Order: sequence, then structure tokens, then C-alpha cells
Amino acid sequence: MLVKDYMTRHPFLAEPSMSIVEAQRLMGENNIRHLPVVGEGKRLLGLVTRNSLLVEPSRLSSLDMWEIARYLSGLTVRDVMIKARDVITIHPDATIEDAARIMVECKVGCLPVAEGEFVVGILTDVDMMAHLMQMMAATTPAVRVTVRMPDVRGELAKLVGAIAGQGWGILALGGAPAPREPGKWDAVVKIRYVTKEQVAAALSQVEGQQIVDIRET
Amino acid sequence: MQQARSAPILKVQDLAIAYETRKGDITAVRNVSFEIRRGETLGIVGESGCGKSTVAFGIVNFLGRNGRITGGRILFQGQDLVGRSEEELRRLRGDRIAMVYQDPMQALNPSLRIGEQLSEVLVVHRGMKRKEAEERCMQMLQRVYMPDPASVMRRYPHQLSGGQQQRVVIAMALLNDPALLIMDEPTTALDVTVEAAVLDLVEELQKDFDTAIMYISHNLGVIARVSDTVGVMYAGELVERAPVVDVFLRPHHPYTQGLMRCVPRLGMDKASSYLYPIKGRVPPPDHLPPGCVFEPRCPYARPACCETRPELRQVADGHWARCLFAEEVAQSVWAPSDEVPARLPAIHAAAADDKPLLVVRDARTYYEVPSRQLMGRKQLVKAVDGVSVEVRRGQTLGIVGESGCGKTTLVKTIVGMEKPTGGEFEFMGVDIAVPVSKRSLEVIRNLQMVFQNPDSTLNPSFSVGQQIAWPLRRFRKVPHNQVRGEVIRLLEMMKLGERYYDRLPRQLSGGEKQRVGIARAIAGLPAMVLCDEPVSALDVSVQAAVLNLLLEIQAELGTTMVFIAHDLSVVRFFCDYIAVMYLGHVVESGPVEAIYAPPYHPYTEALLSAVPFPDPTVEQKSIRLSGSVPSALNPPSGCRFHTRCPRKLGEICERETPPWQDAGNGHRIFCHIPLEELRKVEAVVTVPKKTDN
Repeated sequence: MLVKDYMTRHPFLAEPSMSIVEAQRLMGENNIRHLPVVGEGKRLLGLVTRNSLLVEPSRLSSLDMWEIARYLSGLTVRDVMIKARDVITIHPDATIEDAARIMVECKVGCLPVAEGEFVVGILTDVDMMAHLMQMMAATTPAVRVTVRMPDVRGELAKLVGAIAGQGWGILALGGAPAPREPGKWDAVVKIRYVTKEQVAAALSQVEGQQIVDIRET
Repeated sequence: MQQARSAPILKVQDLAIAYETRKGDITAVRNVSFEIRRGETLGIVGESGCGKSTVAFGIVNFLGRNGRITGGRILFQGQDLVGRSEEELRRLRGDRIAMVYQDPMQALNPSLRIGEQLSEVLVVHRGMKRKEAEERCMQMLQRVYMPDPASVMRRYPHQLSGGQQQRVVIAMALLNDPALLIMDEPTTALDVTVEAAVLDLVEELQKDFDTAIMYISHNLGVIARVSDTVGVMYAGELVERAPVVDVFLRPHHPYTQGLMRCVPRLGMDKASSYLYPIKGRVPPPDHLPPGCVFEPRCPYARPACCETRPELRQVADGHWARCLFAEEVAQSVWAPSDEVPARLPAIHAAAADDKPLLVVRDARTYYEVPSRQLMGRKQLVKAVDGVSVEVRRGQTLGIVGESGCGKTTLVKTIVGMEKPTGGEFEFMGVDIAVPVSKRSLEVIRNLQMVFQNPDSTLNPSFSVGQQIAWPLRRFRKVPHNQVRGEVIRLLEMMKLGERYYDRLPRQLSGGEKQRVGIARAIAGLPAMVLCDEPVSALDVSVQAAVLNLLLEIQAELGTTMVFIAHDLSVVRFFCDYIAVMYLGHVVESGPVEAIYAPPYHPYTEALLSAVPFPDPTVEQKSIRLSGSVPSALNPPSGCRFHTRCPRKLGEICERETPPWQDAGNGHRIFCHIPLEELRKVEAVVTVPKKTDN
């Protein structure tokens, strides 16, 4: 689960001299939101996002219609891009959770993936969502159960032991501190080829743990 | 990842390319549309002259001074490449599209060491330090499984084998991590075993680097191996486009169907089946028919086909075909036309006790090379070293093996072009271990040869008629005043006709030239014809026609043949007996069916697992030989195959020459492994189930 496994290789790229009309078309036609700007050898020079293409109304209000057209046609990617020194990048060998942390902390929707100065891919919030989806096996039908347990070593092993005791396999497993309940931990487990009732019956036996949610997906 | 699925790396729409000539613009490619996504391989297949390479050159704008794109769009990563200036293109395309050609030497600078050439790419494009660049290049060479990369970095291109050179070119192409890789016949010049390794590599790299690959080849087997989607080109148009399995098992265009019928399928043999060549030839780009381009050659053609040019339309999910009647074509059961016999008269092998026509015992042909030392002795290249074969009247012996195994030398020695160093050669009871100049006219007349390259064997300044007449006059087969009539009869037998009599070789196509070569060889009614790769240089449909012709000649005249080829499916179809050669030795010989089923010699097993079959559903064991054929100057001791053998037993293979083991029915294997062990080996190729085609 490293960045290089989840990034999009060979992303669409722009050159600094590309007009923003062209950049806008490229992003619109291909339904993409981020466009790394590169120079010779795919060296990262900047990043264009949908936001970069918004032109401040205050700048336009002073111009008449004809001047607006000329102003826009003269603009290039170089004029609107976020400069490389302000772009946050990530290395392909970084972990996916590191990428998530950076995206959350810096509040950005995309990280160009770079080896040194050279762009090798791009990782966007959609890629992260896709990853979450896969991690939780979102598209596979199964019983999804959330179990709340004390945040103590050995508790998860008890739960896994109970499932294994039934001869079931775990399709997906995730965990996080329980919301609004300090000292507790929520584990989400997906189990295939069983009914909701069977799971409820088996897991209610586990001491000190409670089922907070169970459903078929 | 979602983005990856939605937007293709390369999207070609309605592309048209024309070449300027003295007669005006000639459109070489038109209405070509396709797209390639990340990590996907599009195979482009078609006969020569169909515009496959032109499309590739159009994408990278290497059309030459007189070529230009006259219409359509080429969207690379969303940006149109058509109509941009040279400088803009260079920047846009820069290091994001890489190309690998058929001949690796075209891409390598012969005067620079491999290391310098490779690191140059990174130094120039990325401004990397030389030291760092070299390190990266070493890693990349390791990635393409180059043995001993450190020493390869210090070598010059000519010091590498063809397969290694092609690996260097692929490594070079991948250094910049291109989004699109265009490969134009990258394995055509390589041996099957090397080809298999390169194809494995391509498949693996495509997954690892997520590169979109456009793979051009005329070889249906290779296309079936590497492609996800296949585009079939004919006369500058894309006539069919579909996932690989659909193209091979459910072709909707008559041309694709025709191509499939031209190649021998697994399990076909010459007694029970027939190859159906496509009649006629590809129309020249300046004389295209007004309607469907394939109409003149199409067995389904109807009046409507002559008037309307069909559009590429979707006939099934993801399956596109350019034919007005695609649905009917796909459904109909194709019946052979009356022109070709549905079945050849079965050729009955001569009775077993009949004396063989040709007996070769312990044949040895050595070449002398000067020693590297100043006063050293001359060294010997043992090209053929102790080969024994027999051919009976009316039968065909196939000789297979990698290049450099001595098959051509053997045939040249038999025909008298090389002087044998030792061994017995007996033809029709006459000793022929003498050069051709000392042979009697009768022996020469009865022992003729067809060469691989008809271009270099036909005299360019003599007409076809004169060239075929020459052996007739020389051997005095017919009276002087009947020579012309006889030549015309031969031309008709070759399906060429009288109008070819006065043509010069340059006015003929490759297939026609090869027919003239065959006509010349059989003019004197020889008892035996030696064919050295007679169809290797030809397109599949022409290849089918030439093979049929040879079969007909054999059936009609009872000619005995020795047939050299590297394509094992052709050999299987064409021959009765097969000898597998490795480094001057025969390692296995026997009747054709015995060779293609266990027990195998380990080398035969590896060869069979390397051949690409034109059927994507075939399951093949993957046995890859490491290294290349050792030098014949200093062949390995014991069993010559032991250095590469995947089933090597141990020291015995290095020490002792293997004995021949008789597997019954004339099937002999030269190997130390006991026959019982070899019999247990599973079959290399399995066809999952009978398909509807």
C-alpha cells in the first residue's frame, strides 16, 4: 500500500506556454481537475487546478468586453499556475497514509508524485477514495459489522479469534478510535457467505464487546 | 485510478496520411480511428503495404519530406498533435512517446559504448549527473533481464547479440518512463526463443510501468500473444477492431477471416486440410476500388459492395468492423471456392523398404577461421558436426532450429555449395560428397534448391521467361523449339500465366518472385528440391499460396523435399519427418506427429513453448532458454545443449555425448534423460476446447 501502487501513472501534463483556454479545454474534455505543469524531462514547474483558472472578478471589472477577450487569450499556464516551490509533492515510495496525512494537513486535493524534480504520476483525493473503497471491499456483497471494544491490547485478537472459530474468513477489516467515546475502539469487519443473524449470534458471545451496527452490503 | 479508466493516452480519430509524389498526392492511410489506454496493448496487424507503419510514423511525425497528415486528429494525452510546429511537437511529445523498431541497430549508435548511449538520454533530458545517470541505466538493464549489465555498459552495440541489442533499445525507450510506446515489428528479426523472451518482457513491463503500447506486427501469433485489443489494417484502412479473443475466434470482416485461414492452425496437417490464400493482392494506394477496398478479393462481395464505401461500425459490444454485411459474414459457414481443391490427393509415403533417396551419414562441414594469435593455428567452426539424415522418395523432411544451428550449412553442403569436411552423402545411389562443379549433369538436374530471398537469386536484368528457360536448355529437357511452350506451361502451373514471360523481376511482387524461383527449381523435373526458408520473407496470404503450390507440385510430380523453416507451425503443416538441429547436431528426429508430442528432447520442448500460435486461447508452457547459442568455434563438451538445458541431469551431460534413444516409429532423441522420464513430460501446447471456427 504505497503511493506508487495507487497513483495514476502518465498523467495528462501541460507546458508553461500552453494558453489557459487550451488548459481549460483539456481539463474539461477529459474530466480532470489537476494538471501538473512540466518542462524538459518532465521536471515539475507548477500545478494548475480548476481554481487557478478562475479569474478574479475585480481584475475584469476594470476592462471592457473586448479587452477581456484579449486579456484571456494572452494568458498562459505560466501566469496562473501554482509555482513549483509552493506545490507539495510526494515520493512514489511513501505510504498511502502519509499521503492522506499531507492532503488533510495541507488541505489539498492532489499531490503530484515526483522522484526528485521529475513527475512520475499524480495522486488525487479520488484515488484515495478508491483506495478506501477497495480496502473496505465496498463492491463485494457481505455482512458488515461494527464492534465497539475497549482500547486494550488483545481485544481485536479476541474478535478475530471468534470469527476464525466459526470457520469464517475476513474480507475486510478496519479500525478507528470510537467517535465521542474515549477509551473505546471501533472495528469494522466484513464477512462473506454468512447471514446477519449468524454473525450477530457469534459475535455477541465475545466478552466486553458490543455490536454497534450490523448490516448487509 | 478513475481518471485512468476514463481518458485514453492516445486517441486517433479519422486519421488520413498522404505522400506527395510526381503523380500527385497519394493517400496511404485513411479513416483510421482507435484509442489506447494506460497499461493496454493495441496490436496492429495486416499484410505489408497496408499502412501499419505509416500510422506509427504519423503519430511521431517521422513521415519524411513528402509525407503529411491530411486529416483527422491524433490526441496524445488530450492534446492534438496534428498541425503543430516542429518545436511545439518536440516539446509536447518530447520524452513521452518512445519507439522501438525492427532493427535495433537503427536505434543504436555503433561508435558509442552502450553505457554512454543510455546515460546520454538522462543527461540530456533530465540534466542528471553522468554518474547518477549510469547507475539508473544499470538498474534499467537489470530490469530488462540483461545478463551481466556492468560489462554490457562497457561494450559497443556490435558486441551484443540481436536479442541483447533489442533489450538495450527497450531499456533506452523506458528510461524516460514514456506514456506511449510504439513497437514496430520489434521481434521480427529475432529467433523464436529470443522472441519469446522479449515478448514476455514487453508484457511484464506494460504491467509495471502502465505504459500504453501500440504493437505492430504481421505475425498473427505474436499479435495473439501480446495484445489486449487488435486492429486489422487493410489497404490503409482499419477494417476491424475488437478485443483479441473476438478478432481471432469471431472475426466479422472477410479480410480478417481470410488471414485466419491462411495460417496453419494447431493440429492441422497437409493430408486433411488446406490453407486458403486470399486471392488477388493488396490494391496500390492510387488505384483503390470505388467501393469497399476489400471488395475485389472478397468471397462475399455483392453489387452493393462496389458502390458504397462501408464505415467502421459497431457490430457487437466493443467489436467494430468495416463491412456492410459483417453480421452475415460472421455467421455464415464459409465454403471454399471451386478454384482450390478442397482436399489434396493424399500423398502416400513410399513403402518402408524402399531405398531412401538421400542418405547423409555423419556429415561434417567445418569452416576455417584465422587464429587470433599471431602464430596460432587455424581454428575450425564446426557448423555441421556429425549429422545423419535420410529422406525417402515423395516425402518432406523439415529441419528446424535457431539461427546458427547449421541447418542452412547442411543444405548447402548437400546441394554442393559447400565442401564437406567428412561424412557420406549419397543421392539416388550416387556419392555426392564432391563440389557441384564435379557432379554429373544428371545429379545437378535432380537436386535443386529454392532460396529464402528471391530478390537476390533472380538476375535483375533477365526476363522471367529467360530465367526459367535456362535450366530447360542446360539440362536439355525439351527440344529447342519447345522451350517457350514449356516455360509457359510452368508459369501456368505457378498460377502466373504467359503474360509474365517478358517481365523483369523488379516488376513482380515478393510472392511472384518466389514462384519464379520455384518454377526455375522444378523446371528440370528434379527428384529432390531443397527449400531454405522459402516462405519466411512473405506475407501470410502469399505464404499460404506458395505453400499450397509446393504441396501441389509434390502431389503432381512426386518431388521429394527438404524444407528449412523457423516457423514450427508451418513445418508441422508441411513436413512428414522433422529433424531438430542444435549447434551442428541433430538432437531429435522422427515423424512429424511424434516431434510435437511427448517425449520431447528438452530443446524441442523449449522451442515449442516459444512459438507464438495464432490463437489467444491456446495454453502454452513457458520454458525460456537462458543465454544464446554458444559459439561453434568452441562448442560445449558432452551434450552441446547442456549449457542452456532446463532439464540438465548433472555432470554426465557435461562429460558424455548423449546416446540416441529410440522412442519407436523412427523417432530418435539424443539425450541422457531416460525415455520413461521424457514420456512423463506434459504436452507443451494445449488447446482448451474446440472453437466454432
